[in-house]
Amino acid sequence: MNTKTLKSRAIVYGVLTILAVGMVIPFVWMLLASFKTSNEVFSIPMKLLPKVWHRENYQEIWKKIPLLTFFVNTTKLTFITTVVQVLTSCFAAYGFAKVKFKGRDILFVIYVTTIAVPWQVYMVPQFALMGKMHLTNSHLGLILMQAFSAFGVFLMRQFMLGIPGELLEAARIDGLNEYGIFARIALPLVKPGIATLIIFTFVNIWNDFMGPMIYINSTELKTIQLGIRMFISQYGADYALIMAASVCSLIPILIIFMLCQRWFIEGIAAGGVKG
Amino acid sequence: MRFRKITALLMAAAMTASLAACGSGSGNATTEPAAEETKTQEAADDGVKEEEAAETADASGEKIKMTVSVWDNASSPQFQSMADAFMEKHPEVEVELIDTQADEYDNKLTVMLAGGDSDPDVIMVKNAETQVTMKDKNQLLELTDYIARDGIDLSLYNGAAEQLQMDGKQYTLPFRQDWYMLFYNKDLFDAAGVEYPSDDMTWDEYEELAKKMTSGEGSEKVYGSHNHTWMALISNWAVQDGQNTLMNEDYSFLKPYYEQALRMQDEGTVQSYANLKTGSIHYTSVFEQQQCAMLPMGSWFVATLIQDKKDGKFDFNWGVTKIPHPEGVPAGATVGAVTPIAINAKTDVPEQAWEFVKFVTSEEGAGILADNSVFPAVSTDSVVEKLSSMENFPEDGKTALEITSFAFDRPLDAKMAPVRKVIEEEHDLIMIGEEDIDTGIANMNERAAEARAE
Amino acid sequence: MTSRQKRELKTNLVGYSFVIPNFIGYFIFIFVPVCFSFVLSVMKWDGSDAPMQFVGFQNFVKLASDSTFIISFKNTIWYAVFTVPLTLVASLLIAVMLNSKIKGIVAYRTAFFFPYVASLVAVGAVWNMLFQPEFGPINEILRALGVANPPKWCASTDWAMWVVIIVSVWKYMGYYMVVYLAALQGISHDLYEAAEIDGATGLKKLRYITIPMLTPTTFFVVIMLTIQCFKVFDLIYVMTGGGPGRATNVLVNHIYNAAFVDFKFGYASASALVLFAMVLVITLIQLWGEKKFTDFV
Repeated sequence: MNTKTLKSRAIVYGVLTILAVGMVIPFVWMLLASFKTSNEVFSIPMKLLPKVWHRENYQEIWKKIPLLTFFVNTTKLTFITTVVQVLTSCFAAYGFAKVKFKGRDILFVIYVTTIAVPWQVYMVPQFALMGKMHLTNSHLGLILMQAFSAFGVFLMRQFMLGIPGELLEAARIDGLNEYGIFARIALPLVKPGIATLIIFTFVNIWNDFMGPMIYINSTELKTIQLGIRMFISQYGADYALIMAASVCSLIPILIIFMLCQRWFIEGIAAGGVKG
Repeated sequence: MRFRKITALLMAAAMTASLAACGSGSGNATTEPAAEETKTQEAADDGVKEEEAAETADASGEKIKMTVSVWDNASSPQFQSMADAFMEKHPEVEVELIDTQADEYDNKLTVMLAGGDSDPDVIMVKNAETQVTMKDKNQLLELTDYIARDGIDLSLYNGAAEQLQMDGKQYTLPFRQDWYMLFYNKDLFDAAGVEYPSDDMTWDEYEELAKKMTSGEGSEKVYGSHNHTWMALISNWAVQDGQNTLMNEDYSFLKPYYEQALRMQDEGTVQSYANLKTGSIHYTSVFEQQQCAMLPMGSWFVATLIQDKKDGKFDFNWGVTKIPHPEGVPAGATVGAVTPIAINAKTDVPEQAWEFVKFVTSEEGAGILADNSVFPAVSTDSVVEKLSSMENFPEDGKTALEITSFAFDRPLDAKMAPVRKVIEEEHDLIMIGEEDIDTGIANMNERAAEARAE
Repeated sequence: MTSRQKRELKTNLVGYSFVIPNFIGYFIFIFVPVCFSFVLSVMKWDGSDAPMQFVGFQNFVKLASDSTFIISFKNTIWYAVFTVPLTLVASLLIAVMLNSKIKGIVAYRTAFFFPYVASLVAVGAVWNMLFQPEFGPINEILRALGVANPPKWCASTDWAMWVVIIVSVWKYMGYYMVVYLAALQGISHDLYEAAEIDGATGLKKLRYITIPMLTPTTFFVVIMLTIQCFKVFDLIYVMTGGGPGRATNVLVNHIYNAAFVDFKFGYASASALVLFAMVLVITLIQLWGEKKFTDFV
């Protein structure tokens, strides 16, 4: 390696490190602030480290808000919605891509018409409808309104279309019926697609704020996003506690992210390529 | 061939079965809310079926669930106390409070009601003017017949009940009546060697006092007073003399009070509006963490302070006195609001809801409220007596309870809500200094006129 | 029934059985509401039991004279105009740097990507504190650097939108960086090697190979970003609530307020259709572009 490339490598590392630190600073600041007293958070002159590490902040927030309930709710919503979304989407996608049945094209056109319509466009009539069905203020309502996106079917269909028809034909000749072909041949071949859909649904539902905000009223049904928000407006000046609650809300997603990082990256990459 | 067909059928059956299992699996996981919902729905959509449901529920030992919408439950213990007292009297009913943070309460309530659900059965109307919109949308159960049937004496409320009537009919009853007072931190006054705020101060004198009580720097700074971000904390003093209301066509009567608020902010005797707003800072924590010496606030704050001190959330002596008044207005003139209570027109438990409303607005309910240091709308002698002898209420604070006149903070007007929204946006801009007062008031006049015209 | 008909019937049934579970849910919870939103936009309805009233295009006419709508429309465009290029450039540059056989790529990637999955409310809270006008660390640093009167950020009509833009770029950049990384890995090494033989340096390679080869991806990213910007709400609601005044009020704020605060469902749906029209334009551009780029690639 010559000096020039060495120098440019150094620059790349330097720039990347500075940027990465910049990205992480809010989280570090949050973590440090969560161990301070509320007065100390904004002390002038600024001090980065707490004078005394107030670990009891973390005990206190559990007494003030039902964080655990919020976690359980969010996890439950995310998990069920993702499972329903992925299962039904794969099913439908296979039907649309690989089974020739009457009315297929019409049904698919119905999906196509809404693919470009953002949720914000129809959230109002959807809410009115859900209200009539008595599905507001319930987790069931939230799951139903989010689990059947045209996007899921679309994405999976794209992947299903990529499966060569000869493969399926061969399986048919071997005596496998459509369900068997779906389960044994098609599904394993679209794993990257499934990963993508899982990631998209998971992140969307976990981070969804507006949906629960509109639909959920009862504290015991609230998600982590709403819960933290409620905490912030009720304990506005308890900065340290707010930061402690925020840290708590980030830990599970951090763990999940660390464990499944590869999936996240591959999923998004596949989604980005397939469009 | 035949064999293959059968396998296909079996496979298909297995597939559907597994699908059904998925379906019910997801259903099971959501059992709680779903089951509850069907329960309440089955518990009938009309009153007749309801009675039966109540009996069967009674017989099976299951409780009738009733929901009441409230705000900031954590810092307003009175709601829970009322619910507990009611449940003690009516053990067959289980009262559940639906809690929302105060600043989102009106929004959330409208959303809940528009959802067409039976919840909340009982509605605490945080801002009285919103009852007009709710009535217009047929969301409120008319109470006139219930009142006649049970012979409720409306004179208990000193005219407040009549003021809440709409088109000559009663949809709500006054539950609480709150007015503004001046709270202060006795320890901070003692430490500074300054006399406690008097019960006969003009707003100018109050401003002087705030200046005197400001000390310290940075995060250790103690502000002389604290103006929360509500527009009410400016406009209330402008309507205190009863001459103007927030439905006036010209808002220039607000000007002197904006000038004062901005002056105090510039001189650093109160925290800046921008800070409070961006930090969404609750006044309770500011006062309880001794960051301010005085705080003009509503009488509901009495209950918060008594409760929080009991819970050991703070440990200093607080005092309360009459709210300052404009020049030429006698001391004891105050501003405030009535908190009406209403029943959701779609409630599935109308009888129980009415019982609850009746209970909390009765003299007995008022007594319980007063015991909990909350100011009830019923003001019979015994209630006033109870209020002035509240436990842990400062001895010298009784003067705050004596009022000579009472101005409504906002008129009961169907257009008040939309008008309020636009004038509050301008309030925001004036207070952060983006608009000078004259521009802000001119914009208020213009935009409020638009909102009224709609 | 002939055996052919039977077979057809069977295939049909099998096909339906695959599609139906999703279709029922989709039809009830998405397709019907979408159609309903068109109906609602020419109606006057407060969401109550009272019947809706047909008002023709009145809602749309009202939009044109509603100052709050006009402001929120402008704000949305303003937000998109700055957020899209900033996010794009940031994510592209970081992806290119990460792609140059860096050691510890996982650590870097995590740092850049984590904000994307971090819960929005928590992130909004911490940024609000960092940008706190009086005691916040950002202004504290600015003052130390000699800025006498640092901006009041979220408490200033001039700066509030910038805060939202900065936080948006910070939060969403990681996602597009991953998209770019994937695309970069698809560029053949031969191209670079050939360029090196011709004596091209790092920056030249970026200018003449990487960026042109990434055009389809960039196009895709621009489309995605623009649509995402049009839909922005959560972040703004959490950080500024649309304030101060109406300085950060965006389209979805307007829809939300019209629907869930003022309960004008018809009016809200009319504003929602404006959002839809904006997204539709972008989507049409995308369809046109996809054709173009498939030819190109």
